[in-house]
Amino acid sequence: MKTNQKKAWLYLAPTIIFVTLFSIYPILRAFGMSFQSGSLIDLTWTGFNNYKYIFNDPEFWLAIKNTLLYAVISVPVGLAISIMLAWIIFDKVKHKALFETTFFMPYVTSTIAIGIVFRYIFNGDYGMLNFLLRAVHLPAPDWIDDPAMSLTTIIIFGIWSSLAFNIVILMGALRNIDPNFYTIADMYGASGKDKFWRITMPQLVPTIAFLLTMNIIGAFKIYTSVYALFNGAAGVGNSGTTAVFYIYNKFQTVGTPGVAMAATVVLFLIILFATFLQRKMMKKIGEN
Amino acid sequence: MDNNKFVEVKNLRKVYDNGHEAIKNVSFSVKKGDLVCLLGPSGCGKTTILNILAGLLNPTSGEILFDGKSVVNVEPKDRHIGYVFQNYALYPHMTVLQNVMFPLIVGKNKRSKPEAQKIAEKYMELTQITELADQKPGNLSGGQQQRVAIARALVQEPKILLMDEPLSNLDARLRLKIREEIRSLVKSVGITTLFVTHDQEEALSIGDKIILFNDGVIQQDDLGENFYLEPNNYFVANFVGNPVIDNFKVTKTDDELQGTDFTIKLADLDESRFKRSIPNGQYLLSVRPENIVPASDGILNVKVDDVELIGRERILKFTHDDSQARSLISLEVPVNHGDQVNLKMRLDRVFLFTPDGERVY
Repeated sequence: MKTNQKKAWLYLAPTIIFVTLFSIYPILRAFGMSFQSGSLIDLTWTGFNNYKYIFNDPEFWLAIKNTLLYAVISVPVGLAISIMLAWIIFDKVKHKALFETTFFMPYVTSTIAIGIVFRYIFNGDYGMLNFLLRAVHLPAPDWIDDPAMSLTTIIIFGIWSSLAFNIVILMGALRNIDPNFYTIADMYGASGKDKFWRITMPQLVPTIAFLLTMNIIGAFKIYTSVYALFNGAAGVGNSGTTAVFYIYNKFQTVGTPGVAMAATVVLFLIILFATFLQRKMMKKIGEN
Repeated sequence: MDNNKFVEVKNLRKVYDNGHEAIKNVSFSVKKGDLVCLLGPSGCGKTTILNILAGLLNPTSGEILFDGKSVVNVEPKDRHIGYVFQNYALYPHMTVLQNVMFPLIVGKNKRSKPEAQKIAEKYMELTQITELADQKPGNLSGGQQQRVAIARALVQEPKILLMDEPLSNLDARLRLKIREEIRSLVKSVGITTLFVTHDQEEALSIGDKIILFNDGVIQQDDLGENFYLEPNNYFVANFVGNPVIDNFKVTKTDDELQGTDFTIKLADLDESRFKRSIPNGQYLLSVRPENIVPASDGILNVKVDDVELIGRERILKFTHDDSQARSLISLEVPVNHGDQVNLKMRLDRVFLFTPDGERVY
């Protein structure tokens, strides 16, 4: 028994060391740093000053507001569109494999590369999107260079790039539903609507819960797509700044790691709370 | 309207897209209120027929009449059928009550919730699952799930109930119990039922009649006992019966049947049982194990390879012509492993088949 335990520790050691070194220590260090000021090599304790600073910084509030808006809009809309598309492909499309591959492509493509392509599509003067909008006589805003449009552009881009992963996972879930469920429903004269709402959706609840968690966490961490869309900035005049952008900026550019870590801790708490909330919500839905 | 032909299938044929002919010119009819078993080995086409009756598959040609009306071009939902799948296909996210109510609250003829619940509760009482109403199917035993599936199939008050191997997911003891329950249930409801199974014992015990299929063709459409006493052909004789029938190769001459190590005089056979006059040549003589038993005046001397006890009878196994054969004897007959015994056949109970399986005696 004793030797066995020793061996177990030995086998677990690599994981424990790596997790401690690269996960647990940085978390604790970040938490500690949020109460310190100065540069990385010269940190001194400063109490809650960093927190006071960020709560009084309008840019921080803009970053949080943008991030929350982004999460609250892009995640449900993206998920709803994903469910719709996955259901259409599953129910109606003949060559499923082809479409699935096509839809999965964005997931394996670098966000930076896609972002650059989207810069062209979104371009106010010669972009494809505005070309189409003008063709049907709709207003053609300046997606990239108008500060008021920054967040909208980011959200559209976010929704589009979330589809790939969501659809592939949803297709897997749809395929796992016993086809007899639908055969039986057909036999009882159930309509397409009946089948979707009474069979498909309830069967998808666990998958949707999983995707919701992943998407929300991803949404709160949004950075790369903003960086790619606005050529390394957070939109004109930082209008599209996000929480991670703020953290990165305070850490690298401004050189105040303590402030950056205070913002990190706040973001961590927001994600924790959001995840907790939606788990509760999904549990409730699952029970009904 | 002819109650003797409540379900009528005429010249049904089904060729799958890959060219496989699953059903070859099948015709049969079912009396109103009867419980009919579609029996056959796997791949014989019995489930295909059930699915065609349900409207899940389209026949290649042929006619199907329910209550005198053709249903070939009728949608499954308008055929007034209930269907119980082999795996039950209960909705795991719904409670038992919601599952049973499901057919009543979807589609064009949906009813109000209280009305649907009232009907569902009536059938749940009938199938004795009332106290399970709030459970999810995942928490139920196989037998309970079976009952939920039947209750759900019955709530729309269909005219015909189709069941696809409904007992195959249950353990042996439960199967015996549930099959009795199914029979008494469908009889009390009075619904015409078609029941697919590959288990002959199941078919014999619950079917009012049995239709035996092989290779997409009806081998025999008859009362249960006739499969045993008067099999139509070699396949039927060998498919039905436990222990299985013994087959001996014989050569017919002018006045004898000559087997390996034994001879039967044609004069000893019952002339009235011959279906037709037969030429000399090769035949197969088949005899059920209980009709070939040890006797002092036996005609076939064999060495007993093994004796197997099955309840109050014993199976005596022996090798003849390089194949194993059996004799069913009562527990008291003193025969043991390794004994030499003389076996006698009840010649008024044997069958004679041509090499291609046609029964001639």
